Amino acid sequence: MKNILEVREIRKRFGSKQVLDGVSFSVPEHCVFGFIGRNGAGKTTTMRAVLGLLRTDGGEIEVCGEPVRYGAVPESGLIGYLPDVPEFYGCMTAPEYLRLCGEIAGIERSALKTRCSELLGLVGLEKERHRIRGFSRGMKQRLGIAQALISRPRLLICDEPTSALDPVGRREILEILRTAAEQTSVLFSTHILSDVERICGRAAFLEGGKIVLTGSMDELRAMRSDTDLALTLSDPADTEKVTAAFPQASLSDGRLIFPKASEKDCAALMAFLAEKMIPVTRLERHEADLEDLFMEVIGK
Amino acid sequence: MRGFAVFFVKELRELLRTKRLLILCCLFLLFGIMNPAVAKLTPKLIGLMSEELAAQGMTVSAVTVTSMDSWVQFEKNIPFALIILLIMFSGIYTFEYSRGTLIPLLTKGLSRAAAVLSKCAVVMLMWTGGLALCFGLTYFYGDFYWDNSAVHSLFFAGFCWWLFGLLMIGCVVFFSSFAASSAQVLLGTGAVYFVMLLAGMYGRAKAYLPTRLCDSLSLFRGDLHPSDYTAAAVVTAALTAALILAALPLTKQRQI
Repeated sequence: MKNILEVREIRKRFGSKQVLDGVSFSVPEHCVFGFIGRNGAGKTTTMRAVLGLLRTDGGEIEVCGEPVRYGAVPESGLIGYLPDVPEFYGCMTAPEYLRLCGEIAGIERSALKTRCSELLGLVGLEKERHRIRGFSRGMKQRLGIAQALISRPRLLICDEPTSALDPVGRREILEILRTAAEQTSVLFSTHILSDVERICGRAAFLEGGKIVLTGSMDELRAMRSDTDLALTLSDPADTEKVTAAFPQASLSDGRLIFPKASEKDCAALMAFLAEKMIPVTRLERHEADLEDLFMEVIGK
Repeated sequence: MRGFAVFFVKELRELLRTKRLLILCCLFLLFGIMNPAVAKLTPKLIGLMSEELAAQGMTVSAVTVTSMDSWVQFEKNIPFALIILLIMFSGIYTFEYSRGTLIPLLTKGLSRAAAVLSKCAVVMLMWTGGLALCFGLTYFYGDFYWDNSAVHSLFFAGFCWWLFGLLMIGCVVFFSSFAASSAQVLLGTGAVYFVMLLAGMYGRAKAYLPTRLCDSLSLFRGDLHPSDYTAAAVVTAALTAALILAALPLTKQRQI
């Protein structure tokens, strides 16, 4: 599969802080790529470098095979960008702002009108006639996506588009991104892991200035295929019997936790409980998610 | 060029919607009317005060007002109008950079040079229009009440102020290319003016300094002739162009 974005060994230092220390990853065509990292990990720095808005100290970036240079305007229509806190000209209305963006991107006047209505419909702002000054954060975020898509970019870069939104706003933005992804590749930075699980096909973890883990969602989930078992006994007096047979189990909040237990381990435990006639209140399998993986990656 | 035109229209629309255009019009209109009004009212004011002045032992004889008094007011008032204009536009660049409103447009292909030049053109247009309004009103009332022909080199004096205003706008453009706030831009622009004043203390430099263009009174009275301002005008024009041209690579290097 052809890669839309190639980032190779980029480095960036701010004063004494090495923010990016050899970041490398690639985004394939028609993929929603989750770019995961803690606050301050360097996600925004990486994205601004991809846009040519930030001078890196080393490394290479290519968008659709074209090298990105600092200060150089990207080829019109190649990249759409939604900043983390999008700011617009408050005295304009949403259609006026989209027209401004379209005119700068060089879209034909006749095609621009249709494109603006299309995008306003996509983000649900078609009936909004107020000036942007009065827009809520969610509305600004939606307008941000519309302006980023105006020139049908090959790559849409969204910097934490859902971080500051309430659950309803988040869901709406994710749905819009999912729809947008049918036509473009999306690089989507966040620290909200459930959002990544919901819409991304691939993801990368940025930690300590490096990509510590990257792969498809299935590959990432497979890295944590071992799940934990949590056993709550009806009679706490039976705890010793169980721990004697399963020394790896540890007691936590009145529950016995069996770390990294496979399906076979689970069956063995159930057979033991049945054989010894030990009454059980609850037996849970805790599926590992991205959050566990994230915690593991950042060493917490 | 497309980016320049689109951004220029956006700037004008913003000026209109934020009422800044209206405020500027009122400002220059007010100064334009004030110049002849103050001159016209001076004899009446002195007449009203004559009794009080007589009590203090001062005799007031008949005061004759000519259009020269109105143009003297013009020379006194126009610097204030220019300062207000510079304050109003001191954040025109830094505000965009700090808020990040320019970023979406830059990623769509707008060149930084087009953004810098279109904003500069808008401010220069405002100064040109405002000065023309103020000058026009002073000229009209000067002719209506008195006779402008008594005052020398009127239009050249207006041109000198226009050129000096462009230089100050050039300073705003230049300092905005690396300053972090509008206060820093104003400070830099003020510093340039202060340095020119200091340099003016050296007699020989006076004829070449842009501050010479602000001396309209010598022109009005005929003490100096337009040819005495040529060197200063050339220096001012060259300096303005240099400041604006220098702002382009500096803005390109700026981290936005």
